[in-house]
Amino acid sequence: MNSQASLSRELALRIGLAARALPDTDAKRLLSVLTDCIGLPITEEKIVGIDLNILKTAKAGEFIDVDEPLLTHALSILKSGLNVPKQQAYVDGDMPGSVRIACASNDGINVDGHFGSCSQFMVYQVSGDEARLIDVRNTDIPDDLEVDDKNVFRAELIQDCQVLYVASIGGPAAAKIVKLGIHPMKLPATEAIADIIGQLQTVIAGTPPPWLAKVMGIDASDRFRFEREEATG
Amino acid sequence: MALYIVEADCISCGDCEPVCPTMSITEGAVVFKIDKKTCTECEGDFDVPQCVKVCPIDNCILPLEA
Repeated sequence: MNSQASLSRELALRIGLAARALPDTDAKRLLSVLTDCIGLPITEEKIVGIDLNILKTAKAGEFIDVDEPLLTHALSILKSGLNVPKQQAYVDGDMPGSVRIACASNDGINVDGHFGSCSQFMVYQVSGDEARLIDVRNTDIPDDLEVDDKNVFRAELIQDCQVLYVASIGGPAAAKIVKLGIHPMKLPATEAIADIIGQLQTVIAGTPPPWLAKVMGIDASDRFRFEREEATG
Repeated sequence: MALYIVEADCISCGDCEPVCPTMSITEGAVVFKIDKKTCTECEGDFDVPQCVKVCPIDNCILPLEA
């Protein structure tokens, strides 16, 4: 049986992307290592079982000299298709007391992107008890569009969002984001978007800080009441 | 004369607290706040209020009227 025949298009694409994330590695080399790890055919289910150690030691240590963060990144790309969230419909007003966030991401699962270089922005609408992926915005600049400033183009892509999560961002780019009324949040390390949403929901369901309450459109008088309750409580 | 922090805009980053020469800035229940009794707007210490200088948000720290 031809090993390629049993490889789904999706999975083949991810193996290609993961190979590109590794130095001097093409899809063929990565495939040979994966085959050594889990045997043929290569399936989604078997890929889940690969961890950093297995990948490092496979094929007599083919990847032993590769930096661990690179391997971890390649692994996350390999596994990323497994829990890719489904986009959901959203109409303004569907979720009262919610905030729209953009996550700079390369794999669609983690906030692992630099603002200026990530491949996509995952846009979620988040309320205290619900979160919907409402859009995935590709950051490729259309061929027919002339763009003076890449970062302005990217900022305008997510203009409707109130908060932006990034793994890193430069100062001038952050200033452009702030100018559009978006609150940039730089995370200390790569984090799963699902975890970020969980944390944000806890904050929204509790007492959101005033700046967040403001962008969520909570009335100033209601915010004042929050504070009073806290002072007496 | 003193400064105050606009509560709706403060993001609680805490950058202003260590730069205050009179230690008038503390973290309040909701956001950071300035003690109007001790704030000097940095007069005598610096040319410009240090908290305003380091605050990342525009118009978040303003002079208190009256």
